[in-house]
Amino acid sequence: MTALLTMSSISGGYGDADILHDLSMEVGAREIVAIIGPNGAGKSTAMKSIFGLLTIRSGTIVVDGTDITGWAPSRIVRSGICYVPQVANVFYDMTVHENFEMGAFLRNGDYSDALERVYEMFPDMKAKQKALAGSLSGGQRQMVAIGRALMLDPKVLLLDEPTAGLSPKYMEQIFQTCRDIRNTGVALVLVEQHAKQALRFADRGYVLAAGRNRCDGTGVDLLNNRFIAEMFLGA
Amino acid sequence: MDISSFINFFLIPGIILGSIYALGAIGVTLVYAIMRHGHFAHGDLATFGAFMVLLFSASSGLSPYAALPIAAVAAGLMAIAIDWLFYTHLRTLPKIITTISSLGVALMLRAVVQIFWGVNTLSYETGIARPENWFGLRIKPHEVVTVVMVIGLVVALEIFLRHSKWGKAMRAMSDNPDLASLCGIDNRKVIALTWMLVGALCAASGFFLGLNTQVKSLMGWNILLPTFAAAILGGVGRIEGAILGGLIVGICEEMSVLVIRSEYKVLSGFVILLLALLIRPTGLFRGKVL
Repeated sequence: MTALLTMSSISGGYGDADILHDLSMEVGAREIVAIIGPNGAGKSTAMKSIFGLLTIRSGTIVVDGTDITGWAPSRIVRSGICYVPQVANVFYDMTVHENFEMGAFLRNGDYSDALERVYEMFPDMKAKQKALAGSLSGGQRQMVAIGRALMLDPKVLLLDEPTAGLSPKYMEQIFQTCRDIRNTGVALVLVEQHAKQALRFADRGYVLAAGRNRCDGTGVDLLNNRFIAEMFLGA
Repeated sequence: MDISSFINFFLIPGIILGSIYALGAIGVTLVYAIMRHGHFAHGDLATFGAFMVLLFSASSGLSPYAALPIAAVAAGLMAIAIDWLFYTHLRTLPKIITTISSLGVALMLRAVVQIFWGVNTLSYETGIARPENWFGLRIKPHEVVTVVMVIGLVVALEIFLRHSKWGKAMRAMSDNPDLASLCGIDNRKVIALTWMLVGALCAASGFFLGLNTQVKSLMGWNILLPTFAAAILGGVGRIEGAILGGLIVGICEEMSVLVIRSEYKVLSGFVILLLALLIRPTGLFRGKVL
């Protein structure tokens, strides 16, 4: 498998103290990868490191053959990765439609095809396109956030806890959306608190603890691993 | 006092003054919405713009109206230069530091104006403008121009913010700067664009102030307080609030001479500011981002 996104031996953090230690990860084309682990394991931090949101002291991040280590987020977004933060991931005082337009900010010329695809993926949002994003429910906002990130046609989509605080119904819907996105040829990386559900649906998973790789494997393997189940899945 | 003298002596001057305050308050609101700091150099930037109109009209023989767009660009560039020289370095520090430094910038701008033009009172047009009588309403031609142009500017700004790509980018950055940069919006460009607009609005408010009163080096400083009062009364971050706030402050100020001596007129802006902060600190329209 040739990896689309490769993190090799990343160490780094926000200030002087490192949060990530020698962390490595790989994401192949059209793959869904879940990052799981206990609170404070550095899951979100690992994701932010890919997007240039923290200081990387050593290691490299390569996307589709291009080394993007140390790039500014505004430049990384041009390289084919889009990132959906966990909180404050929509423009509250802008309409759903304007949120999508902002997602396409870097696109020159006509992007109606991308807009159409996003509305096709989130038919509910078509009816809400003139509503302010801040007036939507948590699940709907998450759709706006994901739709916004899809407007640039990314190769890799990073989702930081997309199901946090959502009802099981919405959670299932978000997972289904992720599969739909993968079927359009996009690779996905998810940070997930709901480890079991995430592993059931992801192709592969990485278990992190204290900012280090703990283990990795296919979702099913990790689910069946007794040690992991006891340590991290509360089984 | 009958109704026509009320309109002629209080309401019309109040609306004129109020529109000038509104232009200033919109600028204050834009600065806050994007950069999140107060801007005390606002009044003196307006003075600078007013003198730029004087400079360009005197040197080229253009009418002051025709010189306004050039002066607006000059004031916009000045605002960008000020930001680059003084405010960029402070961006990551607490915003109060930038706010205070803008006070220093205000003094510097005024000093520059005084070095070149002195402290005397000047004016755009010599002679006395006679008010026209429209069915008992006494309105001077430049008053009509002021109100029409202020309305035009506000409408143009609204259209820009609602419908243009960069206008939306400004709203996006005002809403959530981090998410805006995740969309690839270059925050530095948005900041420069904002200063351009703010400088231009300042030049316009300074010009209209000069047109309706006099051109002097303290003119902008004198409207700083009512301008802030208007922005806060309306709700910081709200353009419609800035307009309403400006009109209320302007009209109250003109009407205050009914109860206090005209030397103390400025006091009304101060009282409105205090009342707004005490009773409704979020402003009439709840303050938010653009």
